[in-house]
Amino acid sequence: MIIEGAIIYSNLLVLLALGLTLTYITTNVPNFAQGSYAIVGSYVALTLLKLFGICPYLSLPVLFIVGAIVGLLTYLSLKPLIKRNASVEMLMIATLAIDLILLGVIGAYSEVLSQIVGSTQAKFVFANLDFSIFGFRGILFVSTLVVILLLFGLYLLLYKTKFGIALRASMENPSLAQTMGIDVEKTRLFSWILSGALAGVAGGLLPFMQEIVPATGDLIIISIFAASIVGGLRHISGALIGGYIIGISESLITYYLAMAFGAGFLVYGKVVSLIIMIATLLIAPYGITGVDWKKVRKRLFSQ
Amino acid sequence: MVIRMIKIKNLNAGYGKLQILFDINAKVEKGKITTVVGPNGSGKSTFLKTLFGLTKIYSGEIIFNNKNIAHVPPHQKARMKIAYLPQTNNVFADLTVEENLKIAGYVLDKDKVKERIEIALNIFPELKNILKRKAGTLSGGQRQFLAMGMALVRDAEVLMLDEPTAQLSPKLAEVIFGKIVEMRDEFGLTILLVEQNAKRALEISDNGYMFVSGKVAFEGTAEELLNHEKFKEYSLGITAL
Amino acid sequence: MSFDIISMILLWFGLYYIVSLSLNMEFGYAGIPNFGKALSVLVGAIAVGGILDRLLMLYFKINGDFITGSTYATSAINTIIASHPIVGIGILILAIILASILGLIVGAIFILPSAKLKEDYLGITLLAISEAVFLICTYNLNIIGGYYGISTPDILAFVSGEYRGWVFAGIVLIIAFLVFLFFERLLNTPFGRVLRAMRENENTVRAFGRNIMMLRIKTMAIGSAIGAIAGVLYSLYTVNIIANAFTRVDWTFFPFLMVLLGGKGNNKGVALGVLCYVVIKVLLDIYKYNIKYALNIPFEPVWLSYMLFGVLMLLILYYKPSGLIPEKPILTPPMKKKIAEIKQ
Repeated sequence: MIIEGAIIYSNLLVLLALGLTLTYITTNVPNFAQGSYAIVGSYVALTLLKLFGICPYLSLPVLFIVGAIVGLLTYLSLKPLIKRNASVEMLMIATLAIDLILLGVIGAYSEVLSQIVGSTQAKFVFANLDFSIFGFRGILFVSTLVVILLLFGLYLLLYKTKFGIALRASMENPSLAQTMGIDVEKTRLFSWILSGALAGVAGGLLPFMQEIVPATGDLIIISIFAASIVGGLRHISGALIGGYIIGISESLITYYLAMAFGAGFLVYGKVVSLIIMIATLLIAPYGITGVDWKKVRKRLFSQ
Repeated sequence: MVIRMIKIKNLNAGYGKLQILFDINAKVEKGKITTVVGPNGSGKSTFLKTLFGLTKIYSGEIIFNNKNIAHVPPHQKARMKIAYLPQTNNVFADLTVEENLKIAGYVLDKDKVKERIEIALNIFPELKNILKRKAGTLSGGQRQFLAMGMALVRDAEVLMLDEPTAQLSPKLAEVIFGKIVEMRDEFGLTILLVEQNAKRALEISDNGYMFVSGKVAFEGTAEELLNHEKFKEYSLGITAL
Repeated sequence: MSFDIISMILLWFGLYYIVSLSLNMEFGYAGIPNFGKALSVLVGAIAVGGILDRLLMLYFKINGDFITGSTYATSAINTIIASHPIVGIGILILAIILASILGLIVGAIFILPSAKLKEDYLGITLLAISEAVFLICTYNLNIIGGYYGISTPDILAFVSGEYRGWVFAGIVLIIAFLVFLFFERLLNTPFGRVLRAMRENENTVRAFGRNIMMLRIKTMAIGSAIGAIAGVLYSLYTVNIIANAFTRVDWTFFPFLMVLLGGKGNNKGVALGVLCYVVIKVLLDIYKYNIKYALNIPFEPVWLSYMLFGVLMLLILYYKPSGLIPEKPILTPPMKKKIAEIKQ
């Protein structure tokens, strides 16, 4: 059962880390608001459930669109700074500000929703709504399916379409891409929209897994960054690798620690991902996908 | 009759507040090779970048096909059939050779891209066997062939090359110069070339400009430049560099 | 009522000015993106709650669990302070010394990852470390009482309730002023200038034979020690510690807001930034329910304040990135002489 939880968690982390990596590659902005994007999705799913009785699984397409809009708005508000060549510190502060605005909006909305529904909606879970197949939770299948669909879609987009090749080209070398006639601005816009959309979907699935409060985004952002950094912020595939490494180790190591030292250790999940992240940064600053494996092999065999 | 392809009037440009080019007047003729030479730091590479819109233009005009394109953003210039080849990082290392060629035809429609890739591969047959390789794994010469092939795919009328023979062996440089001449003669391409290897470059050129400290020091036909006393002095200076 | 507002404003001004001054040295002068500022303030709380309270328990030979034990210990010390004010002052000084030492150590360790990291990765790492320590302190009740909270000594137990706020505000302001003098002295030395040089170009500083890592460690050690002093004052003022109070928003984001609003790299500008923020904060705190009912807002005003301050930050970044009072060029005595010469 613990492995089931680890896989579900990893799947969601992959969705979130992928968005973070994508926008980092295209615009060089480490986005601290990525976690809150997801929580926006969670509350929209809650609203659809409470007001219209729509099962959260069915509202995923709506969340995709809502998330996309949040991502778009973020990019538009960062754009004046990007245009001015603001330093990366300033851009990070700007995303912290956007995160705070989102937290305010989510918090305010949760109370408004509570008044409409007539009971408090500040905290909620969807786990009780889930179905099960062969004793496994539905979210295991759904989240895995979403990740597979996403990877398949991304593969088709990036390797089989003209826009995708252009997207990869502008990620690698934006100024050369411009000389080819690619509108780099469009690819940036796209990356933010997609990043928000993926986070929105992750937000619809997250409440099946853990309790949501308005500030949950600030908590999961550590794991998201850990996943992206461990995998390597410079490669999209890094988010996939990092998502599973962080997701599984956070779940498993914490679980075994708790087994050995008591339930108090369950709260140390974030510490585990933090330690893995720092260790990665010190050994391989550009993450697993940033390592020159040929060199490593050479060094190993030459000894 | 001489047809002017590009005319540059009183151009002042640079990076941010740092002005590099001062009051440049120049012209590029259709179907000819025009070469800009000059010592290191004379602003010749910046000149190409400026024509393509990658620097800041303070004042002046760039007339192309009777239109001032001084403030047209780079990605739109690419659609105006102007191609620019930077000196370094001129191919996408993470993309395969084939993908690089395809992306070069980004602004063209599908059938046209196929046709242009065929043409590029005829001029650069060296690329045919390495289509599936990632550009990052190519040798310096292969990379330069690919970059020039990409320029051909784009079906440009004007090709701006920034030191295409830099860091290549003399033998390979000779091949590249040959290909440049071939591109002019086969397709009537207008070529604007910036070269460190000034003497050899002028030998294949029609017209030339000599830049010193961001200004046009003198201009003329390539032959005039080669025989100019000042050029001989400078070229000694350059070869000494 | 209105008098209380002023004492609140003064108190919060002092607390936030101390934190912002230290952040200004780290970020404004040295260019270190310390998105983990809250950690240093939490360190101050740990010095009071985690160390001082335990020392008191030992002194009064109180056994039993930490949370109830510290309640007994603090009430015992409060009775002593009520009749011996000097003990209260002694406790304050002891707590500041403890916090400074702990801050120096934590700050020096905290910055070590920067040996290998550039700005953005460094900022993320500092934020993550700070957040992780915050989580541990919140969920582990044995460090500083976690979300449950513990009481701390009332160093002003000898002052009657109505004046306590004023006296405490006075103490905080005096310490803030001392900290200001300290930083003005420190940053007008070659050390301060080399920090600015490091912010602009690390390689130049290296070329002059300065060890960048050592400079960073010194900066963060001092910055964290000072931040910890603010943590001590806050913990002693509220007479209890609840770990959830040391959030990233309150002690990292808002100090950044104040520094950027005032003008980074300029300690006097930062004072203006802190004052602006604190006036808005205290007024919002006190009148939040009046605002809520007057404007008929259907939610807690705290959410509205988050939105407001977030938007304010964006506006600063758009229109006033160098703050209300921008950084001034450094004028060393030889340069002043030269300028005077030119003027003549």
